[in-house]
Amino acid sequence: MSAMGASAETFRWASTADPQTMDPHAVNSAPVLSFLNNIYEGLVRRGQDMSIEPSLATSWEPLTGENGWRFHLRKDVTFQDGSAFTAEDVLFSYQRASDEAADVRSWFAPVSDVRIVDEFTIDFVNTAPNPLFPDSIANFMILDKDWAMANDAALPARDAENFATMNVNGTGPFTLASRDPGVRTTLAPNANWWDEVNHNVTEAVFTPIGNSATGLAALLSGEIDFIQPIPLQDVAQVEGRDGFKVLEGEETRVIMFGFGHEHEALLYSSDVTDTNPFTDPRVRLAAAHALDLASINRVLFRGKIDPASQLVPAGISGYSEANQDRPAFDQDRAKELLAEAGYPDGFSFGLKCPNDRYINDEALCRAAASMFAAVGLNAELSTGPVRDYWPQLREDDFDMYLLGWSPGTFDMEHPIRFLMHSQDDERKLGSWNFGNYSNARVDELLPLIQQEIDPAARQAMIDEVVAVTQDEVAYIPLYTQPLIWAAKDNIELTQRADNFFMLRWVSVN
Amino acid sequence: MVYFILKRMFQSVFVMLAVAFLAFSLFRFVGDPITQMTGVETSVADQERLREELGLNDPFVYQFARFTGDMLKGDFGFSYRTRQPVADMISSRIPATLELGVVALIISLLVGVPAGVYTALKPRGVLTQAILMTTLVGVSIPTFVIGIMLIFIFGVQLGWLPTFGRGGTVQIGGWESSLFMIDGWRALLLPAITLGVYQLTLTMRLVRAEMMEVMRTDYIRFAMARGVPMRRLHYKHALANTMVPVITIIGLQFGGVIAFSIVTESVFQWPGMGLLFLESIRFVDIPVMGVYLVVIAFFFVLVNLIVDLLYVAIDPRLRIKDVS
Repeated sequence: MSAMGASAETFRWASTADPQTMDPHAVNSAPVLSFLNNIYEGLVRRGQDMSIEPSLATSWEPLTGENGWRFHLRKDVTFQDGSAFTAEDVLFSYQRASDEAADVRSWFAPVSDVRIVDEFTIDFVNTAPNPLFPDSIANFMILDKDWAMANDAALPARDAENFATMNVNGTGPFTLASRDPGVRTTLAPNANWWDEVNHNVTEAVFTPIGNSATGLAALLSGEIDFIQPIPLQDVAQVEGRDGFKVLEGEETRVIMFGFGHEHEALLYSSDVTDTNPFTDPRVRLAAAHALDLASINRVLFRGKIDPASQLVPAGISGYSEANQDRPAFDQDRAKELLAEAGYPDGFSFGLKCPNDRYINDEALCRAAASMFAAVGLNAELSTGPVRDYWPQLREDDFDMYLLGWSPGTFDMEHPIRFLMHSQDDERKLGSWNFGNYSNARVDELLPLIQQEIDPAARQAMIDEVVAVTQDEVAYIPLYTQPLIWAAKDNIELTQRADNFFMLRWVSVN
Repeated sequence: MVYFILKRMFQSVFVMLAVAFLAFSLFRFVGDPITQMTGVETSVADQERLREELGLNDPFVYQFARFTGDMLKGDFGFSYRTRQPVADMISSRIPATLELGVVALIISLLVGVPAGVYTALKPRGVLTQAILMTTLVGVSIPTFVIGIMLIFIFGVQLGWLPTFGRGGTVQIGGWESSLFMIDGWRALLLPAITLGVYQLTLTMRLVRAEMMEVMRTDYIRFAMARGVPMRRLHYKHALANTMVPVITIIGLQFGGVIAFSIVTESVFQWPGMGLLFLESIRFVDIPVMGVYLVVIAFFFVLVNLIVDLLYVAIDPRLRIKDVS
């Protein structure tokens, strides 16, 4: 309880959101998965550069004679309560995580069966060839079967809490020492961890701090060692002080504008009410040409963003090198295109944006609205908190909207599946394709991409999808969102592109 | 007297029901809890199933009836965000908010009453003008700005006091208290001042106005003429009569202090009910929001009742009326 007795290796950090639960299968959200990756582990894990590496599985290979993967498990691994890790725990965790009560069950949509071969070998059978399956389960965390059964936590808590909501038993580098939800959570190193220890933390204290000014003050007063993230406008404050540093990186999240492709008429227009000009690709391209990203970068983002040409940033697997140009800022071309499409004087429409979801989202939309207006596209901007925003998009209540997308599997297939394939609730495809962009060729290519084993053939198909969607301006990709963290000078840590913070790479000097 | 209390308690049930009803009818405009509870990859079908399970598709009246029915049975439900029992979540946050509110109130009285007396007795003094000016500025600046200013001066620049949280706390029979440790007091000071500034100004101005009024009354003039020592005159005869209306107003304000501690709690990351409420709004955690509002309504009712009783206790004239 006391703040006294803090030794050099006590590491204190803060973030804006508290992980809602300690249950690794109950909620599929970044704050929870990021936090629990310190405690629980998967069969595979991501390294500092996001590459997939062995974790509880030492190796894996495709099954012969059927679709799927065989995982060889690590021996002599124990859970934090001392019990041994075996294939039984993997099978149990699969059943638990793929249950209807689990929010992470979508990861297992391609799995038809899981079979234990022996104590340390397990097969995941897939419905179709799935070269990316091992990569897609990096956040699938394994918990101990006997522990969960004994504590009545066989399934994730859905409406009431259970033992696993507040208690943990993982194999990971840290274990839970105390938890006061929303106030503070303390972690202690797991002395029996199987891997080589690369941190020197003896105690880690996490505090959620929702107010960014308070978080900054807590860092500058020395009460915390690290905060994730800080607002862009505070960067100068931190850099201007001795003993602190700003850590900058690039998140894998691409910010974009989307259109109501299938809307028959504009909802928020004062002049064009009988038709939807955005169904014409020339109008969408005109909107893309109207945006001056260099100015947006300079004025709103202090030069910290990278323009995006497609829905994943460079470096993500499947990124299409062949299509890395984005429409240039060209107002004359935009006006020409609008005239060709039959709108020489432009028209007005409604632009929806969240105001608490992405960095400077509202300011971005204001800037974009005035840039659109300069070519005759008069955007009627309305902004709101994200808790209101998603329902509006789901109800098709927009003409144009802002969206950010981080590919959960770190592969181009992810945004194709969620944002570019036509809406198909039955097959769980296109679920975030709010405007229902639809192209038969893209729909045809997605399953082929998912199943293609040969990397060159796969890339060729992805290149085709990217080319088609760029050609039709399915979305206007804008930029990759920056990651801005701040820490004391004596803290060494790794900033991973998925915005996950791993304690096992922290050293306090 | 017992009848009076019972009657008030009975009325309070209706107040709370009304608050719950109003709150519930507003929740539909706060946003959709399902999109907050599920990840991006969750299928639309799974979202719908969850919505059905939580009863969010039921008609408004039905949801409201279920909420109040469960509450009357003592079942406060589970949070959408943390899946914990709402009763535990709120009750564990009550001590932090109450201690903050009470200490803020005490600070405002300890400073506000003497300052009010002084400015009333020396209305044209230089110090009086200075005090009046400062408190006017203090009350005009929004609470969060005062909080952030205090944090940057005493927390960041001088490094004297912590910038967030409760510091050291001690568990006393389920009540987590900051009041028994130096660390706890250090953490409590800035938020309590922030929360108390408005109260302080109000107290001071009330005391000053009342005191000036009382000083003009006949019995004070008569006592003065009789040669009662000035000290005794000011602090015994005048101040005692000043305090009757002051206590009423301050008491009534205390409900507001508890309810409006939200801003202060957010600025100082003070783990009280207000912060919990704010987190719950962000997440559209309807069960927590509903119970919080009902609890706050109950506090208001309770404080009003206590003030009414105190009023009777302090002012003998009311007791006589009561008897007749």
